[in-house]
Amino acid sequence: MSVFRFLSRGSAGRRWYAAVVSLCVACGGATGETPPAVDDLGDPLPPPGARSRIVSLNPATTEILFALGAGDRLVGRTRWDSWPPEVVAVPDLGDGIRPSVETVISARPDLVVLYAAGDNRDAAQALRAAGIAVMSLRIDLIEQFERATLLLGETIGATQRARTVVDSVRAKLDRVRDAASALGSRPTVFILSWETPLMTIGSGSFLSELVEIAGGRNVFGDLDGPSPQISFEEVLRRDPTFVLGRPETAGKLGASDRWRGLPAVRDGRVLVMDTLLVGRPGVRLGEAAVSLARLLHPGILP
Amino acid sequence: MNVRVALLVVALVVISLAAVAFGPVSLAPVELWRVVVGDADPVSRTIVLDVRAPRVVLALLVGAALGLSGSVLQGALRNALAEPYLLGVSGGAAVGAVTATAFGWNDPTVLSLAAFGGALVAVFLVMAIARASGRTADPRILLMAGVVVGAFANAAIMVLLATAPPEAARGALWWMMGSLGSAQWTDTLRLGVVLVVAGAALLHWARDLDALALGPDAAAALGVSPEVASRRFYLTASLLAAATVAAAGLVGFVGLLVPHVARALVGARHRAVLVVSALAGSALVVASDLAARTARAPAELPLGAVTAMVGVPFFLSLLRRMR
Repeated sequence: MSVFRFLSRGSAGRRWYAAVVSLCVACGGATGETPPAVDDLGDPLPPPGARSRIVSLNPATTEILFALGAGDRLVGRTRWDSWPPEVVAVPDLGDGIRPSVETVISARPDLVVLYAAGDNRDAAQALRAAGIAVMSLRIDLIEQFERATLLLGETIGATQRARTVVDSVRAKLDRVRDAASALGSRPTVFILSWETPLMTIGSGSFLSELVEIAGGRNVFGDLDGPSPQISFEEVLRRDPTFVLGRPETAGKLGASDRWRGLPAVRDGRVLVMDTLLVGRPGVRLGEAAVSLARLLHPGILP
Repeated sequence: MNVRVALLVVALVVISLAAVAFGPVSLAPVELWRVVVGDADPVSRTIVLDVRAPRVVLALLVGAALGLSGSVLQGALRNALAEPYLLGVSGGAAVGAVTATAFGWNDPTVLSLAAFGGALVAVFLVMAIARASGRTADPRILLMAGVVVGAFANAAIMVLLATAPPEAARGALWWMMGSLGSAQWTDTLRLGVVLVVAGAALLHWARDLDALALGPDAAAALGVSPEVASRRFYLTASLLAAATVAAAGLVGFVGLLVPHVARALVGARHRAVLVVSALAGSALVVASDLAARTARAPAELPLGAVTAMVGVPFFLSLLRRMR
């Protein structure tokens, strides 16, 4: 049954699984055995070692690897990786979903970090069959970012540095959380993720967590999953104080009759998020939280 | 043997070698030679033998199976526009695969099995509808049943995609466009076995196709029972098509176009048409897969799109020549 839960996409399923795994770890600790460690596709983790040629097919893990000081050991990234600026020197190997296995192999990596999507199972299998260590990670929540950073640190021999990165991000987030909660007000926020179909961000995403840390309340925080689909009527019913959107969509809301039916849009309470900073669950989570806090509470954290 | 068929065989060999030699990563000819001799650098060996070779072999098998299936259905249904997915295979397979991805079962083997299962269910449904109408020997009833089951399947797919998480939709869409990207030797072996068994059976029964082509009454007069023979052909052709779908998703146009090419090369005798359809189908799919991998490397184009893009101009030129 736990396998079935693992396969379900909801964060409730993941929390349940995390609870079961923690229980197993606790039991294992008690008897002195450790359960096999697995990555986010359920495959065994590669053993720690000195990895000198790393391919990272996920913008978030690329950021993490640079923060761990392994930027000069990267020999491949996706076309979407854009931070830090030094990343342009790393060869672009194409997409992170359904990557070209041949192209990845030709970069001669000793470690490939994949995004843990079902679509990538074939690639993970093919790369392992070619004798390359593969780690598939999925970073939807802040705790998963921390786990990914520590796992990557362990695998590439930078455990101490990973600990430092995690602690530093956590400290920044705590600072924002404390400053925001001192303010007393907690406006409701509707995060507009996609227009057709209408999708928002649910409690299964780091973005929802960031909004909460920044002193807001995700008006759809009761929904599971990273990006659930919703109806416009439901948005009207919940009457959020703010609408938070991407630059491309937020600007056009004021001109749309339908959207002007929402008080937040009519009264000009539409916030534009910096997607490059806020859209990725990477090492700049702290800065992302600051940016959101400043949008929600102007004047906070000058 | 016909000179043009000999040329087709040569073309098939050349394109297969090219498909192993070329890909998103360029390997120097001397490096390729070293792979053959056994003396190459391990990365090149892996690329050629573990990534490209199974893919090319699978492409050969998929093309042969689709060519065979298409020519058999065109003969048994007496309709030059019949194609392998006609009797519910594409709709059923897609429903199977989309259901699997919507539930998050992304494991490639599960997906294949789901697609295969869905295809078989749809084919049996189509045959059952035709039998219920009482006229299984009439191809038009079968075609109508195929259209109806296909339409229902499409509706089911749309509902599933609308309610599934966005990632599942992307995965399902990719699968429906056809791809040999996940080719491993195990898929190749499975399809190979199906192809050999079904192919042998079809070649053995090929003369019945010639009889059926004359119409049900003439066929009966020649001692071939239209119902029994047709049913055998529909089921075997659909089984072949379902097996290719399990291995490579939906790859359209091959089964439609290739029998026309075969008939243009060797006339109407089905034993020859089946063999040449298999050869031409293999060549088309291997060439399309090569184009799909290299045209916009390292991104990969969907195989089904490339076979259509390659096939359409070819088909038009064939039509012109037939005037």
